[in-house]
Amino acid sequence: MNYERTLFRYSRIFILLPVLVALALMIPLRHARINPDLNAYLPGELPARQNLARLEEAFGKYEPILIFFETDDVLKTPTLERIRGLSKALNRSLKFNRVASLFDTKNIRGEDGAMIVGPVVKRIPESEAQRERLREEIRGNELAYGLVVSEDFHYALLLANPAKGVSDDEAVAMVKALLKHHPGEEKVYLNGMPYLKSEIQARTTRDMAILLPLGLLVMAVFLYMSFREKRGVLLPLSVVALSIILSMGLLPLFGWELSIIAILAPILMIAIANNYGIHIIARYQELNALRPDWNMRQIVGHALWHLDKPILFTALTTIVGVLGLATHIMLPARQMGIVSAIGVAFALLLSLSFLPAILVNMKKGKVRSGFAEVRHSWPGRLLGRLADVSTHHPRLAAGTFAAFLIILGLGLTRLHVSIHNENILPPKHPLRLSTAIANEHFGGIQHATLMWEGDMKDPAILRRMEAAAQQLEALPEVGKVVSLATVVRKMSEALNDPADPRYGNIPETREAVAQYLELYSMSGEPEGLEQLVDFGYTRASMAVQFRAGSLKQFRQAIGQMEAIVKKDPNCVLLGGQSLLEYELATSVVRGQAYSLAFASVAIALLLFLIFRSVAAGLMGGLPLAFALICNFGLMGWLGIRLDIATSLLSSIAIGIGVDYTIHFFWRLRCELEGGLSYARAIQKTLFTTGRGITINAISVMLGFAVLFCSALSILKAFALLILFSLLLCLLCALVLIPALSIWLKPHFLTKNCKHEKEIHDGRRPRAAAIL
Amino acid sequence: MKRKYMMAAALALLLSFNLPGQDARQIAEKANEAIEFKAMEMAATLSIRDGRGNERIRQIATASRTFGGVTKTLMKFLAPADVKGAAMLIYDYEDRSDDMWIFLPALRKTRRIVSSEKGKSFMGSEFSNADMARPNAGQFNHKLLGSATIAGKDCWKVESTCLNEDIEDELGYSRQVAYIEKGAYLTRQAEYYDFDGKLFKVLSLSRFEKQANGKYFAFHMEMQNRQNGRSSVIAIGRFQVGSGLEESYFSAANLEKL
Repeated sequence: MNYERTLFRYSRIFILLPVLVALALMIPLRHARINPDLNAYLPGELPARQNLARLEEAFGKYEPILIFFETDDVLKTPTLERIRGLSKALNRSLKFNRVASLFDTKNIRGEDGAMIVGPVVKRIPESEAQRERLREEIRGNELAYGLVVSEDFHYALLLANPAKGVSDDEAVAMVKALLKHHPGEEKVYLNGMPYLKSEIQARTTRDMAILLPLGLLVMAVFLYMSFREKRGVLLPLSVVALSIILSMGLLPLFGWELSIIAILAPILMIAIANNYGIHIIARYQELNALRPDWNMRQIVGHALWHLDKPILFTALTTIVGVLGLATHIMLPARQMGIVSAIGVAFALLLSLSFLPAILVNMKKGKVRSGFAEVRHSWPGRLLGRLADVSTHHPRLAAGTFAAFLIILGLGLTRLHVSIHNENILPPKHPLRLSTAIANEHFGGIQHATLMWEGDMKDPAILRRMEAAAQQLEALPEVGKVVSLATVVRKMSEALNDPADPRYGNIPETREAVAQYLELYSMSGEPEGLEQLVDFGYTRASMAVQFRAGSLKQFRQAIGQMEAIVKKDPNCVLLGGQSLLEYELATSVVRGQAYSLAFASVAIALLLFLIFRSVAAGLMGGLPLAFALICNFGLMGWLGIRLDIATSLLSSIAIGIGVDYTIHFFWRLRCELEGGLSYARAIQKTLFTTGRGITINAISVMLGFAVLFCSALSILKAFALLILFSLLLCLLCALVLIPALSIWLKPHFLTKNCKHEKEIHDGRRPRAAAIL
Repeated sequence: MKRKYMMAAALALLLSFNLPGQDARQIAEKANEAIEFKAMEMAATLSIRDGRGNERIRQIATASRTFGGVTKTLMKFLAPADVKGAAMLIYDYEDRSDDMWIFLPALRKTRRIVSSEKGKSFMGSEFSNADMARPNAGQFNHKLLGSATIAGKDCWKVESTCLNEDIEDELGYSRQVAYIEKGAYLTRQAEYYDFDGKLFKVLSLSRFEKQANGKYFAFHMEMQNRQNGRSSVIAIGRFQVGSGLEESYFSAANLEKL
């Protein structure tokens, strides 16, 4: 018991030291930066990231902002005038280096023995007849039809690629300003990675600014309602605040940037960093009511003596649970796992040192007799009912849980993985609406690129490119395929008459290809051609536009492209943004599996070590298995997809959810050791520790509930699911575990325990005796 | 009386403000006249560099002559081998868009090209087609910025700002600052600024040689794009003022016979 003595003697040091550490960590926190780049979530050594880097090295970075215009007919004068004005302004702006629209995309065709080179729309049609002629012309232009205008002409698309060094926010702001400057009746939707990143940045910043104070406020109100004392609010909250500063301060200190997932770290701290403090405050109030004759040293000393182990164990399980995220493939998940684990460890340390050091220096609070046992209050009556169910009808209770498990578990068959990054945003967000437009009316929102290497003027390679394109276009998922071969074929249509066998075909000789390309590059924009072939004509790109509603469709399309890379010696690489999305989707599944496996094994092992019993490991694991199966089943039923946020859920739920069972087992064991019958011991445990568990669980749930106010859809879904999981863990601890305990009467529950009876016998507990 | 003198003094002051403007325009016009040729024949090497160490080299023979107000230019590719023999014929009219024909040996036939995109790049290089044509001093507001020394020559620094957006779009820049050698009126260097007013391209002219008609011609022209790191060089191997080629030589039918 030297610890309590040292703590009380040097209480000021134990109070000041963590405050100083937190203040020091606020310095790096000022340099924290939000990184909205979802690609950066994947490790650099992943092939998808390396391939994208190789593509960008060869053909330049192409990550355009997409502007969709929706109207009854995009060829009508006001719409075309608006697109022309915007296109001109974007072309003139240094912030963009490549613009594609009806006024920029080339139209190369043969007519009356001449090769006509010009933009798709050279002049805005003035009459209905001219408009229809233009429509027909566009239908025959495969570089424009379905690419910058939809097949039904209800939608037009303008693409603007931000220049090097222009931030996403700058580019998006410029586009928005230009849209304001060129108003129109059309509905306009933005899309593209820069817009997505800019939206994520704005929403993450907003969330950071709103959710954190909101969470602290909610927690303060809840703590006051629970403890009716200022110290019951201020002490746990100060532990939370210091833990948040520490965990967030570690991110920049480790050189990590804030991500969407990083928002969860402070929320996690709000939700769980006060857990340990809550138990100490609850125990202090309980003892204050039970033993009004004790002084603060005796009360705090006994509370610490009684709670140090369960608090230590529950904190350890939480640390192990969130550390399961360190095995995740996504870098922010790993980072969040590590800083949260350190944050929880810090919260534990503070709860066992900083908080009691302050508490012991305070005057005794008002005695509230209701806090000894909550039997007569409404939570007490509820806990009493639960105790009755589990003690009198244990099989019925277990059966009800089993039935619930089966019903929700069936939803697992409907569980899908999220494959679109834009699902981060709310369903009605313009970006998500325009994704649907791109998939329905254009070739699809997904883009992948096949890189070819060799002599790109070699007709044999170009012919194989054509064959590969045809093979891909035959797939229902694939919309458009554009490559150097497309341009050469298009040139052959413009340079030859339809009756000529060379019309619409790749030329026979290398010289002919070279001359076609020379002519094309002379037509005005050499950089336009360099999107398809590099300067030295040794590397060419094949852009594949496709749509994928599910991971299966995604896999199918990607599989076909990979088959081409394997089969053709000149097709050397498959890359692009969609490959990263695909990698992210699969890493979500793998990350989920790894962290789930790690956390489950580690927690079972910890339970085994804590209670020295295999049965404890198995019984303690039951609520977790139950909660997780039900959780994933619910996701299936509700259509919530497994994504970058929900894939973190199991580890966090396991880490937190097991606490309730540990607290329950610990107290039950003590009550049984004290000589009570199973039924009475369970009732007593539920009325005493049950209150702490309930307050704890509700506070955690409230902490996570602030995520409902997030501007990001995935965090809202995360909030719903974590609340559901924790509620189930709580119900398991209050009903299922008591029922199973009375039913199975496992041996580990009757092993030795710190004696609860001492307090009621009037004997001084050991801890208090030495103070 | 006193008032009369004051007005005269003010008028003189106003005129003095205008003088540099007039001077600048005269300098620009004289610089244009110093390089004007009605007809010529030349062989040139065009090197296009992508800024990453890669280079494309094109050897082109060009002949140009004006017939009845129409400047007719015929360009023939001499190298590389895969485009050797390709030829292009351009009729440059004062009052309407150009006529253009291309002969590709691989097709063994001549095709007329109707292009509305002639304003941008010259043969895929950093030179624009506008750079290849004689500038029209009337399209700009000229201003004398001072003097500077370029390649050891004392030069006037003349700023020429496009009069309107249409001219900017046609030329591909908003203003240029030319360094014109004093006395000889030879443009030694020109800086082009983009639509946002940032330095875009720098043209350097050297190896000026006096021709038979008393005018000068730069045998080395380099255009550096300061924004994308690319550059292009036109090195003249052979240059001849005037051309004895007949009008029939500059015909679409003749392209296949070259």
